[in-house]
Amino acid sequence: MNRWVLGAGLLLATVVSVLLGVRLGSVPLTTAQVLEALRGGGDPVVRDIVVQLRLPRVLLGVLVGGGLAIAGATFQALLRNPLAEPYILGISGGASVGAVLVLAFGWMAAGSWALPLAAFAGALLAIVLVFRVATATGRAMDVRVLLLAGVVVAAFFSACIAFILSISPARTVQSAVLWIMGSLAGATWRGVLLTAAYTTPAAVLLIGLARPLNLLSIGEETAHHLGADVEKVKRTSLVVAALITASGVAVAGVIGFVGLVVPHAVRLLIGSDHRALLPLSFLAGAAFLTLADLAARLALSPTEIPIGVITAFIGVPFFLVLLRRSIAA
Amino acid sequence: MGRARVTHPSAGLRRVLPFLLVLAVFGCGESDRAGESRADDPSRGAADQRPVEIVDATGRTVLLDGPATRILSLVPSATLTLRAIGASDRLVGRTDYDDEPWASGLPSVGGGLEPNLEAIVTLRPDLVVRFAGSQDRRTPQRLDDLGIPHVAVRPDGIADVLETVRMLGQATGRRAEADSLATAIRSDLARLEARVAPLPRKSVAYVLGGTPPWVAGPGTYIHELVTLVGGDNVFADLDALYAPVSPEEVRSRRIEVVLASGVEAFDRSLAPEARIEIVDEGLEIPGPDLAISAHRLAELLHGPLPPVPPDAESPGP
Repeated sequence: MNRWVLGAGLLLATVVSVLLGVRLGSVPLTTAQVLEALRGGGDPVVRDIVVQLRLPRVLLGVLVGGGLAIAGATFQALLRNPLAEPYILGISGGASVGAVLVLAFGWMAAGSWALPLAAFAGALLAIVLVFRVATATGRAMDVRVLLLAGVVVAAFFSACIAFILSISPARTVQSAVLWIMGSLAGATWRGVLLTAAYTTPAAVLLIGLARPLNLLSIGEETAHHLGADVEKVKRTSLVVAALITASGVAVAGVIGFVGLVVPHAVRLLIGSDHRALLPLSFLAGAAFLTLADLAARLALSPTEIPIGVITAFIGVPFFLVLLRRSIAA
Repeated sequence: MGRARVTHPSAGLRRVLPFLLVLAVFGCGESDRAGESRADDPSRGAADQRPVEIVDATGRTVLLDGPATRILSLVPSATLTLRAIGASDRLVGRTDYDDEPWASGLPSVGGGLEPNLEAIVTLRPDLVVRFAGSQDRRTPQRLDDLGIPHVAVRPDGIADVLETVRMLGQATGRRAEADSLATAIRSDLARLEARVAPLPRKSVAYVLGGTPPWVAGPGTYIHELVTLVGGDNVFADLDALYAPVSPEEVRSRRIEVVLASGVEAFDRSLAPEARIEIVDEGLEIPGPDLAISAHRLAELLHGPLPPVPPDAESPGP
């Protein structure tokens, strides 16, 4: 498929999903009501629903979905592993430990920022641990060690979570489970601005590294011979992608499948030139997560279902079809 | 059962979620008791030794040789009921959730669901009181295998509490105490209903925290209590016991009082016009103190209650 055609299509899909996400929700509103609320008029309840609840939520979906997808594409290139996804370095485990600690010790009372802050700190801890292990052997970072360290650190954090929960009251267990399942329902304008302030420049930076990433995804040796500063590109892009994931997990919990399925789907459609793959993955992830969130809000309204259920239910069959077609072709 | 054995933060926790949520209802938590009967009753040896036949909450008929004298209750609210009918000296163990000072001297068998069977055997109980329901299919089977009699109680609503009181009265041979406790609960509730009847009803949301916020639907004990004391649950249209609802649902519904349970902060901007009352978790547990819980809930909704109307002084039916 032509990358420009796909790009235009995905941009359109992102815009449409944003418009739908603001227009639709569990409370039925008319288009006129939504437009009036956006202009700052109308019923204050409707205005709150549109401006304070739906709009930041939809924008957070764009940022987190796009961020997870571009991070996943980067990890898949750097680790040269098709199973690589944004959480592969134990970031979800670290973030979950942070969140669970906040819930277990009742620090939620300190303020609504306590949980995302602790989750972000936990994710950073995971990143630092994994990178220290992977660089301990020498100057060059070995991606196989990185992968293994990620898996082991994730297992360790899982054990920590299991331990904390086993000595916590049922109420804490419940809250922790719900947080770990991920949701965009906690979106605020402050969260959107913070996430945007990091995700936007980080995505631009990764797209700027697309050419060396192309070389790296062939092999480190080749990339080196072709003149890429392998270590610098590896470190920069890994840290930047890990931090995108950390900021996403801090505001929305652990949302699976976006970072794994979306980059693969885009790659199956347009090939693995990262100059196209990275920006198109961002757009596809943004549209996908925003639509998945809309489905999570509407499917059993007024009840919400976990967004991870939707990303798996839509993402997996869609991906399997693409996979089959690409093998047949 | 607050012990979730989890191996992976996402997949594992997802698997255990359904019963963890159930736990929020039955789980741990303290209630304060006021006016419970005294535990050390010297007259207990006088209980007669004729066989006792009990039909438990699952409809099963259980035959005991005589009133139970070594009781292990796996259900915290049933433990409180046993204490309220003066049978606490027959308890031989407790669960991790019975953490009041009077019970702390007893050995614990772990959680109320899937308790430690070895610990149970060591205590040689002649009656185990367990949860009815399907969260723990293993324990009743194993108790049958071990030849330990057990009765199931369902601690889900007001009627269940009264039924548990009756059943435990039979099992302990303390029917008179059980009857008077049940009568006291009924008349307290009837009096309370009469006191709140003239007050305007309040629209109420019971929020458990979480993102998106979890609220109590119809069919929950808390819905039953709120309705009884003059509140209308704005989420009476849910088809689940407890469910996460879209934040915009909370914002769009007219809520006068938000009852926020637990420590998690409720996002006030979702209900800017509502009064927010923090409710302690003990209120969610249906037990012998339910009339006290109902009274506290009524005061949270309406403020100080008007005096008892004279025609409601006599106990209800």
